[in-house]
Amino acid sequence: MKYLIAKSLKDAIELREKYPDFFLLFGASDVALKIKKNQVDGIIDITHLKELSYITKHKNSITIGALTTINTIVSNSYINEFTPILSEASKEFASHQIRNIASLAGNIANTSPVADMIPPLLVLNTKITLLSVKGERTLFLKDFIIGFKSLDIDNEIITSFEIEIQKSQYYYKKIGSRAKLNIAKLSLAMLKNEDGYHISGASLNPYVQRFTNLETLLNSEKYNDTDIQIAIEKDISPSGSFRSTKEYRTKVLFNLIQDALKRFNR
Amino acid sequence: MQIICNINHKEYNLEVEPSDRVIDILRELKIRSIKEGCGEGECGACSLFFNGKLVNSCLLLAGQMQSAKILTLEGLYEETKIVRKNFEESGAIQCGFCTSGFILRSYDYIKDNGLEDEKSIKDALDGNLCRCTGYQKIVDAVVKSIK
Repeated sequence: MKYLIAKSLKDAIELREKYPDFFLLFGASDVALKIKKNQVDGIIDITHLKELSYITKHKNSITIGALTTINTIVSNSYINEFTPILSEASKEFASHQIRNIASLAGNIANTSPVADMIPPLLVLNTKITLLSVKGERTLFLKDFIIGFKSLDIDNEIITSFEIEIQKSQYYYKKIGSRAKLNIAKLSLAMLKNEDGYHISGASLNPYVQRFTNLETLLNSEKYNDTDIQIAIEKDISPSGSFRSTKEYRTKVLFNLIQDALKRFNR
Repeated sequence: MQIICNINHKEYNLEVEPSDRVIDILRELKIRSIKEGCGEGECGACSLFFNGKLVNSCLLLAGQMQSAKILTLEGLYEETKIVRKNFEESGAIQCGFCTSGFILRSYDYIKDNGLEDEKSIKDALDGNLCRCTGYQKIVDAVVKSIK
């Protein structure tokens, strides 16, 4: 197995161009397990790219460096104050030891259907910035994740996330078999601001996406329980897995949405 | 690959395979306080401080050790004296396999001014598993150490 160490950001994108199939390695909390299972041909180690670890508050937005760890997000006062839904999801992420080393970009790039950080970032309309030898580009996260384990990425590396600050109410709930080190049976991230509802959840589709039918329905303000059921059926296609069944996931999502609506309308 | 790093206040110059796990390298160096429990980052028995942050050494690769500062319980023996004493006196140690991980995490939590209520302590210990004590005695030991 080839193991290359990037000493700078420039170094990293050049290696990325040369070895597009190698795994980028920062915290190793996912990649180390893949190595154990012999699923990795090569590594580009970006452990030393400290310049990608930061949280900056601007007038109307917050920028988070790609390699900011989940625990850094948990303890950041800007995130707590301006995007609390992200704080809440971060607190429930894995365990202290993993949060200390796992990066935000790592959780996104792994593109798991169960990824904890994707639903809150999606409802926050997060933009993602990518860099390659050809240059930089920025797009919405929802356009970046395009399918099961599939990203709109071209020999690029993720450099940052940008979240616009908006006054909003939020609801976040992660459901699993245990309180800690929990891999979600499902989760619901819901946000309500001037534009209306933003809704997403993990482990309910082959890749995490926004629930557009539900959003449209709830924004119309004219609906009953059956309408919600129908919208849910349109928005999700959960699989039955060893963690949970299709029926359970669908039923519990309905209950969580009721719970969220109660909280928003209180 | 040649790795230069600091382990328990001592400089090391090691020849390693970069994709090897840190836990294996350290145990070969006879640093035995780190234990392999689950081998996939759930149990915390292999916890150590890596550049000041507590992480699972079963999920850390040798290549990442370049110029790193690593501390295990062996290198923090004096600093953890109070926590160790309270673990012993509270009966928080039974088979002992998880103990060094728990002591490092407890020390880490107390050092960062952790609160002494049980809920906060249990939250803080979310990355460490113990199959003997039922956790209450461990929580008691942490509470005593904070006081």
